[in-house]
Amino acid sequence: MIDFSAYGVKTLEVNAVKCPSCGKLFYPAPMICSECSERRDPSGIIFPDWEKVSLSGECKLLAWTRVYALPEGFDIQYLLFGIVEFSNGLRASGRLNVDQPETGMKLNATVVTMDNAKGKEYDGFVFVK
Amino acid sequence: MRKVSIVGIGHTVFGNLSEFDLIDIMGFASGNALDDAGIKENRKIIEQVFVANMGGGILNHQTGIASSLVSRMFMEPAMAELIENGPASGASAVKMGYIAIASGFVDVVMVTGGELMRAVTGWEGTDFVASLLHPEAEYNYGLTLPAYGGMFTRMYMERYGLTERDLALVAVKDHQNGEKNNVAHVRVPCTVEAIHDSENAHVINNYIAEPLRMYGMCPVSDGAASLILCANDSPIMKYFTKQEPILISGIGAATDTHCIHNRKDPLVLDAVRLAAERAYAMSNLKPEDISFAELHDAFVILELAISEEVGFFERGKSAEALRKGVTAIDGALPINTSGGLKAKGHPVGATGVSQIYELVKQLRGQAEEGRQVKNPKHGMAVNFGGFGNNVVATICSRGDV
Repeated sequence: MIDFSAYGVKTLEVNAVKCPSCGKLFYPAPMICSECSERRDPSGIIFPDWEKVSLSGECKLLAWTRVYALPEGFDIQYLLFGIVEFSNGLRASGRLNVDQPETGMKLNATVVTMDNAKGKEYDGFVFVK
Repeated sequence: MRKVSIVGIGHTVFGNLSEFDLIDIMGFASGNALDDAGIKENRKIIEQVFVANMGGGILNHQTGIASSLVSRMFMEPAMAELIENGPASGASAVKMGYIAIASGFVDVVMVTGGELMRAVTGWEGTDFVASLLHPEAEYNYGLTLPAYGGMFTRMYMERYGLTERDLALVAVKDHQNGEKNNVAHVRVPCTVEAIHDSENAHVINNYIAEPLRMYGMCPVSDGAASLILCANDSPIMKYFTKQEPILISGIGAATDTHCIHNRKDPLVLDAVRLAAERAYAMSNLKPEDISFAELHDAFVILELAISEEVGFFERGKSAEALRKGVTAIDGALPINTSGGLKAKGHPVGATGVSQIYELVKQLRGQAEEGRQVKNPKHGMAVNFGGFGNNVVATICSRGDV
């Protein structure tokens, strides 16, 4: 038997979407374009799904906080969170892994697999220096 | 549209009521409102019941809450629906009650909001509220409402020069009012020395979501509040002689983006401004006509930011008013006379109803000694859902506006 898990190299990414009609970018994905009202169909049955645009790389820190009240099971003192802006104007929230965060600092958005509060795996942003 | 007044009010104490049943605490507040309105055997005059609750299905494993409340109070066959609109459920339920009467659909409505949050652990309660965030782009990361409260606070401090001491002053003022409020969760005074100025202040006022500290956040509370609404032109109105009717003179609501990061300026709370503008337009009132206000200070920064959005102060100037005592109980514009969410507590589904209960209490002149506003004419409540993505503003007035 072939062990396919050996080939299970998943590309970690968080995607924005691009309106096929006017080209506006969105993150997270809406169901209709705010500019031209083009519909999106995630199933691709009625309308084609919109082009995915990988979101990562250089970004600027707009806001941050260090949260000490963490879910049960976390054996760390705090988690850092931030809101960043990418060079294409899109913004995202995510975790922050920087010793001394400062508003306005340049960061790099990486994507890693994490667990959410319910123990479910997801690919999400960690902003690093 | 018909004019609508509040003719009865009821409230439980806010705090830890986890030994009780959700419907029982709602029933207790409802019973108080019926008593206050002078309704006893004639409960059948209530044609419609709206119940505000956010988490009964998650926290208490209970659904069909509105039907259950009606049955426990023997108010069948009143029509009954549950209104869930996050932490703004309460004011939304009042808005639905208003619409039902103003449109001519019914004459008398009972609105009851309640929440039993301490039935679960503190983290489970925080996680439940966080479920209103965007599942993929916010919630998954472990982001919570306090986390966004912290980020919002930092942005505000960096732009307007607000200090941690200013944040402490909001808490001190709210605790002074809450201490005198018989239904408040936290009836303990605090001083700026204890929570900020003392070198050991951090011991009792540690960071929760920097730069927000423990005293910058509301407690997790259980509780319920209830109102009886009646059409001014209804023949039934003449039976409500026990209390002075208080007019609902303005209601406005608005929504904003689900994801906070998608707002052009995350410090601008568009839904608050629009909700207030709609309420002012309906009542023909202006910010300077408002005698006092209940503003949704789940985080103390929100009292300041909301007071600017509704037009009480210029952007970045609310802290100056706070320092000068303008928003204190004896100031020109008292804010959070009940103690606010900060001291009175925040059982999410009950909060919006409780804020309007406070407006009525103040306008009737029935607030406890030491926290009664002098001769108020118009009060405003702002109930803030999500992190500002669904907001309801309500103005109540004495006399016929």
